[in-house]
This record gives sequence, C-alpha cells and structure tokens, in this order.
Amino acid sequence: MFLEINGIRKSFGEGESRIEVLKGIELSIEKGEICVLLGPSGSGKSTLLNIIGGIDNADSGYISINGEKTADMNEKALSLYRRKHLGYIFQMYNLIPNLNIKENIEVGAYLSDNPLDVDDILRTLGLYEHRHKLPNQLSGGQQQRTAIGRAIVKNPDILLCDEPTGALDYKTSKEILKLIEDINKKYGNTVVMVTHNDAIKNMADRVIKLRDGMIRKNYLNEEKIAAMDLDW
Amino acid sequence: MKNPLIKRLPRELKSEAGKYAIIFIFMIIVIGFVSGFLVASGSLMKIYNESFEKYNIEDGNFELYAEADEPVIETIEKDGEIKLYNNFYIERETKEVDSTLRIYKNREEIDKICVHEGEMPASENEIAIDRMYAVNNSLSVGDTLTVGGKELKITALVALSDYSALYASPSDMMFDAIKFGVAIMTDEGFDSMGENSFHYNYSWKYNNPPADDIEAKKMSEDLLEVISENAIVTGYIPMYANQAIQFVGDDTGGDRIVFTTFLYIVVAILAFIMAITTNNTIAKEATVIGTLRASGYTRGELIRHYIAMPMLVVIVSALIGNIIGYTLFEGVAVNIYYTNYSIPVYVTTPSIDAFIKTTVVPVAIMLIINYAILAHKLRLSPLKFIRRDLKTKQRKKALKLNTKIGIMHRFRTRIILQNIPNYITIVIGIFLANIILVLGMGFPQLLDKNSQLISENIICKYQYILKAPVETENENAEKYCAGSLSTIEGRLKSESVTIYGLASDSRYIDVATENGVFISDAYSQKFRVSTGDTITLKEEYGTTEYNFRVEGIYDNPTSIAVYMDRDFFNETFDNEADYFNGYLTDEKLDDIDDMYVATIITEDDMNKMGRQLTHSMGAIFDMFYLFGLIMFMLIIYLLSKIVIEKNAQSISMTKILGYNNAEIGGLYVVSTSIVVVLSFLLTMPLVNVLMKYVCEVMFSEFSGWIAYDVPETVFVKVIASGIIAYAVIAFAQFHKLRKIPMDMALKNVE
Repeated sequence: MFLEINGIRKSFGEGESRIEVLKGIELSIEKGEICVLLGPSGSGKSTLLNIIGGIDNADSGYISINGEKTADMNEKALSLYRRKHLGYIFQMYNLIPNLNIKENIEVGAYLSDNPLDVDDILRTLGLYEHRHKLPNQLSGGQQQRTAIGRAIVKNPDILLCDEPTGALDYKTSKEILKLIEDINKKYGNTVVMVTHNDAIKNMADRVIKLRDGMIRKNYLNEEKIAAMDLDW
Repeated sequence: MKNPLIKRLPRELKSEAGKYAIIFIFMIIVIGFVSGFLVASGSLMKIYNESFEKYNIEDGNFELYAEADEPVIETIEKDGEIKLYNNFYIERETKEVDSTLRIYKNREEIDKICVHEGEMPASENEIAIDRMYAVNNSLSVGDTLTVGGKELKITALVALSDYSALYASPSDMMFDAIKFGVAIMTDEGFDSMGENSFHYNYSWKYNNPPADDIEAKKMSEDLLEVISENAIVTGYIPMYANQAIQFVGDDTGGDRIVFTTFLYIVVAILAFIMAITTNNTIAKEATVIGTLRASGYTRGELIRHYIAMPMLVVIVSALIGNIIGYTLFEGVAVNIYYTNYSIPVYVTTPSIDAFIKTTVVPVAIMLIINYAILAHKLRLSPLKFIRRDLKTKQRKKALKLNTKIGIMHRFRTRIILQNIPNYITIVIGIFLANIILVLGMGFPQLLDKNSQLISENIICKYQYILKAPVETENENAEKYCAGSLSTIEGRLKSESVTIYGLASDSRYIDVATENGVFISDAYSQKFRVSTGDTITLKEEYGTTEYNFRVEGIYDNPTSIAVYMDRDFFNETFDNEADYFNGYLTDEKLDDIDDMYVATIITEDDMNKMGRQLTHSMGAIFDMFYLFGLIMFMLIIYLLSKIVIEKNAQSISMTKILGYNNAEIGGLYVVSTSIVVVLSFLLTMPLVNVLMKYVCEVMFSEFSGWIAYDVPETVFVKVIASGIIAYAVIAFAQFHKLRKIPMDMALKNVE
C-alpha cells in the first residue's frame, strides 16, 4: 500500500474543553488514486489532511508513505519529507505577490532535484500567455492554476488539495477539477482532496466520509465520472 | 537551480523604496560620521604618538631666574645626565585680538615645528603663529598682528610639538586656545622684542630615557636637585606632567568612548527598526510562508531569505558609510579635532578598529537581532502560518471593559490592546530615540551648568600656589597647603586628587575636622565614597599610600579634592608644623615677588574649562540632537505605518460600516497618538536614570568630574519637539489611512 494511515488520533484543547477531532483513523490509499475526503465542518477532514501533509502532528498513530513513517521524523526530516513527496494546494492560492506567474511555479521547481519543465506546466495549465504577469493581474481561477502548477512542478508523489475550489465559481471550479484529473492521469500522482462539495466524490477513485472524527464510509467509486461531467 | 525567491529582493526593495531609503540613508550617515570620526581620531593619535620622535619632543623644561652661563649648563648636563637646549620665550599682548602670545625662537633641534601653511619667518617683522590660535581668532597668513606694540606679518600657521594643547601654564585646569597662543620668530625678531623680559627656559632630553613614569618621577626629582644646586629655578615641569604635551593623548581616548557609545545606541535602534520591519513582513506574508513550509521549504531557507534584505541594507550602507567616512566625514571630524588640538599636518591612517566598530559590529548586531527574531518567529508550524495564527500565546478571554464608557473610547482601547506588541515597540523606540534627543539637547546644558557650578564654587578670587612659603602683609590672605595624590586604580583608573590643608577656622573652606578629611561632592559621586568610609590615596609618582577617614562631604561638584586641617596635612606629609605653600585670598597679593609664585588660579582660569568644553563640543551635540530628532521621526513613521498596515483590513471594514475618515482617524491615529504621548511621559524618567548612568560611566573615563544635572526644561523641550515631530507623522498616517480602499476587507477574507 502506498499511503497508510494508522490509528491517527488528534485532539485540541485541554481539560473540559478538550475535543477529540480524530479518533483513530485507519486508512490505506493506492498510488495514483484520486481520494476525496468528505464531511461536514468539524468532522476532522482538514486536520487529517494536515497530518498527512506533515504540517500538523498526530497525538498517536502514524502516516507512512512507501514505508517512510512521519511520526519518527524531526522538523528537518519533515521538511524533506514534504519536499520529496508532497504538493499542497489550498483554498486560498497563497502566491507570492511580487513574483510573476512563472517565478511562482519556479519556487516549487526549486524544491525538486528533478522538476518537470516549467514551460510545459505553464502550457498544460493554460498560463503560458500570462507567465510574466503578477498574481494580482490574474483571475481567481488563474491564480489557483498557478498554485496547482507550483505544487505539481516538483512532480510530487501525493497532491494534497484543501478545498481547492472553495473560493471559485462553478465553471472555474470544474476547470480546476479537470486540471487535477488531467495531472493525475498524466503524471500518476496520488491525489487526496478535502471538500465540502458532495458532487466532487463522483470524480474520485476512493471516497472517504468522515463525521465526528471517525471514518463513516470508505469505498472505491465504481461509477467514476469525468470532472467536466460533474454537476452541483 | 538558483533559488527563485532571490528575485523578490529587488522587487521588495522597489516596493518599499521609501522605507529602505530612510533606513539606508540614515545608516550611511551614522556609520559614515562615526567611521570618519574614529578614523580621524585614530590617525590623529598615530600622528601624536609619532610626533614625540619625529619632532624630538623634550623630556621636560625648566625656567631659571637668569640666563645660565656655559659652565653651569655643562655641570647640569653632566650631573643630570641630560642634554640641554635653550628654549627662551617672551610673552606679549596682542592688539587686534584680546590675547597673549608666547613667542619662541625657531627650534632646529628640539620641540621642532610643523608648518601647516605658509613659510617660516625670514625677517625681523615676521611671525609664525599657532594654527589653532589663528583659526580661533580668525587670523590668516598675510595678516598683520600687533604684538607688544610691534606690527608683525603672519607668514605661517604652525604647530609647536610641545604645545599640542595650548596650556599657558602646566597647572591650568584647561587650555585656552582663544586667549592664549604660541608663536615663532627669527632670532633677530625675537631679540628685538626686548631682552629684559626673556623667560630663560631650558628644555632637556635625558641621555638614557626613563622606562616608565615612576622612573621618570625619580629622575626628574634628582635632576631638580642638580639644577637647584647650580641656579635659581623659577619653573620646572617634566614632560609626563606637562598638560600641553600630554593632554591630547589623554583626551582623545575619552572622545572615542563617547562616539562609540553613540554608534552602538544608534545601531541598536536601527537593528530594532529592521527587526520590527522584518517581523511585519512575516506577518503580512504568513500564508505564503505557511505554503512554502508546507511545500518543503526548510526553516533555514526561509530565515536566510528574510534576513537577506536587512543584511543587504546594513552591509551596503556600512560599506558606503565607510567610504563616505573616509572621504567626507573624516574631514569634518579632523576639523573638530583641529579646532581643539594643535597637532602636526593630518595624514589618514586606515583603521582596522574603526572598520570593526562601524562595519563588523553593526553587521553582527543586525545579524544577531534579526536572526533571533526570525528564528523565533519562524519556529511556528506551517499550519499556524497558513491560519495566520502567529501568536505564541493565545489570549484566553477578552478583557472586560466598562460598558458605561462610550463605544468609541472602548473601540480605541481595544485597538490599543490588540496592538500591544506594536505599541510596546513604539514605547521602546521612543525610549531609545529620547536617549539621543536628551543627549543632544541635555549635554550642552550640562556643560553650561558645569561652567556655572565652577564659577559658583570658586573658593576665593585668587588661589596662590607658591614655590616657597613667603609671608604677605595682606590680612585677607589665608595660608593653606596644597598637594596632590592619586587614587588607587580599581573600578576607575587612577586619577590625580588635589589635597588642601586648611586653617582650622578657614574663612574660605569650612571643614571642621582634625584627624579626618572632607571630600568634594565630585569625589564622592565619582568614586562612590560616603561619610564614614576610609579612602586610600597614594603618591602620584611613588608608592607610599595614605588612608583617610571621610568625615564629611564638601559642596564642590566639579573638582576631585580632599580637604583637611593644615596641621593634619603637615603631620601626614612630614612637613614642618607651620609649613604652607599657598594663600587663599579675595585680593591680589602685591607684596609677593612673582618668582615665588608657582601659579595663581583665578575665576577666569576656572571658567576657561567650561569655555573650552563648550567651544569644542557644542557642534557635536547639536548634531546629536538633529540625529535624535530624525531618528525619532524615522522610528515613529515606520512603527505607526506598521500599525496602520496591520489594521488595514479592519480600517477597510469600518469604512464599509459607514465610519468616515475623521472618525477612523480618531480611532487608529489617535490610539497611536495616545501611546506616543504616554511613551514620552513614561520613558522620560527612565531616560533620565539611564542618561545619569551613561554620563557617570562616560565621565568616569575622563579626568575630573561633571555632575549630572540636566535641567527639567530640557525634558520639556524634548517632549515638545517630539510631539511636534509626531504631529507631522500623524498627518502623513492620516493621509495613508484615507487611501485604504473599502474592497480590501472583502478581498482578503478567507
């Protein structure tokens, strides 16, 4: 199994105000899968994504990618782990405002010993014409494409997407989802996507539903459809 | 692959051009000024130290009642193991300026002359005058000066190597380069000034120079005996005790301490500003930092990225500052020195010490402070950055405010509470800037006050020190003994102490003690000695130590002095019971021959010190004040800008809610104004305490003492000028606040 999540527990607060947001999550994801994490607010899906991404710590349990456990890693090793294996896409694009589009993607490329060709990525993302513009000269969708470019240029094993369409309109959201789907097909990255949008589950290989810190459903989607055919 | 984040640096520089330009220019000026000063003082010290050999400076000089004939000179040279040189002089009043000129013949062998400008006199009616005296009295080469009723043409401005500080008498408290000068004439010109008023002065060089001051003292005592056996001595001063030769060396070290202290305060402030600016940049870019960290950028990579700009600014400005220091400011510093010291022609000597202090230290301070703050800030997890949660401690509960207070007041209070970290930095910034403002404005006042105190504490109008205990008929005169010992080197370096032995019922100094001593206020403050303590003093050039019990403090805040009963004085120093060597009097003693008078200390002599200090340091402290004011404006501008920028989203939201610009200004600008005014009021007492401490440390390095007593008006003026300067900044911030768009609140909501 490529990505293994074993007995992950996580709580916030202390004493009476302590809340356990993840209550022993067990999960395995195959390489190249698109896995959608669904659940209502407070279900623990973003926390789980952050623990997979090594930017939050679990109270117990561990994450393993290709047999490499994050629980044993110090801060430096965790940075290398993220550098080597992960690409992150957030709801807000978090681009560097005084770098142009190409340079923002190069910021991602710098992290890899063997990055993808930046110009190819720009063409794939439909941003080649805009490569010399600054982020604030682009639309929200184009900025999110840039953020995706920054995440995938280092050809990560896993692409972690936290509500990647949360700030976008319907049409742009579908374009972004299609892009993620295309990238998954082209480069074979595993995609773990957190979303509120129930319809997105239809483009996933694996669907996991969380509620109250526990997995309520975990199934392979037999009726997967193309992102552009999604409707909500 | 080259790190693409590097490309941000020039853009960051461009987008924050105003901010970096201010810091950059300020840093260049400060580093340039101090570098120039340190290089100048270092070069000057080198010139001064080398001048002893280069100009063959004497080991001492003495004056005889009459010219010594050849056999006497031969005997003294043989028995004293010295080589003697005629160094006769005459003193004449000048007409065009109110001063006294001491004129020598040209010297070819000893105490040689350095010509700054012009040609040495070639004819009887020509004269070369001391360069500093000339500058202070606006005299130039080619001018005519009437000396002793004779019109002389000034042909050169020179420096006499044995008068690097223009002390008219070795016992003067301070030199006076305005009313006293030295000059050189040809042999014929010198003789034409009148032979009957020659001072028969002889300079000597030892055949085997002494190894240290103690040996010099011993050799000088032996030599005095030899001379006294062969002639009537009317003046005697070995080189180690000659202020005219020694003062420059002693004084320059103190100046360097003042300027280095100033530099470090300024660098600390600039490092502080840089750190706050960097902190603000991190806060602004929190989500980007979080994303980069989440993507795999290490903490070290980001620290290096964010530290690059402050380091770039400090390194470039330190380098440019040094270049300007060596070119422009060095000249300014040299000019200041050459207004006070009469030294040979200036030659720059590159200084490693100056480079370390003005480049390596500021760079190191910037690196350490910025690294510490960045490392502390960036230790937060990537998730905290993504969530913009940059506080290390979370406030558990909101502070309750009395609901009877109006909403606008509560709003303003909340703004202050929410921005406490920024406002704390404003308080610290104002505190640091106030130190320089008070230093700049308070120091001249301190010197004025010191001059006033010197005048107020004059014991009597004439303080005679005699070469021999001769009697006077004047009933106003009171016999006393004067001597000097030195303190033992400990916390402070060893320093000369004037010892007074006074009549038990003295009219001039009222100290009722028989077997103990009173010490001056200055002694008490400088050496932290109180009534009841025992002090130990030693011979200045010997090893005998004396212990005295302090029975009281005498009100003299400017002199390092010890007062005791005359009988106790004579007993202590093994003198005859009725020994005395001076008179305290309010009337001039006309019945004592000048040949028995070593020196007369008058009110004017005492005032010389204050006059010269104010003359030499006034310009420097004006600069300090200007620096302080600019620095204060810089700090307030940058910090209040940060407060507005950090609250831009809230300001935008209040605009959406319908608040007008005046109301928003009333909330955000007034909040900062309250903090600024409170900072002034609250930090001023602290500044006073710190200044007192800094001054005491600084003055401890100098000989003598200046009591720290800055008038309250200085603090009022500093506060007033600070508030006026702030008003300008507040206006600019209000303008900035007006320009914040309403859609900012909507665009940035995540």
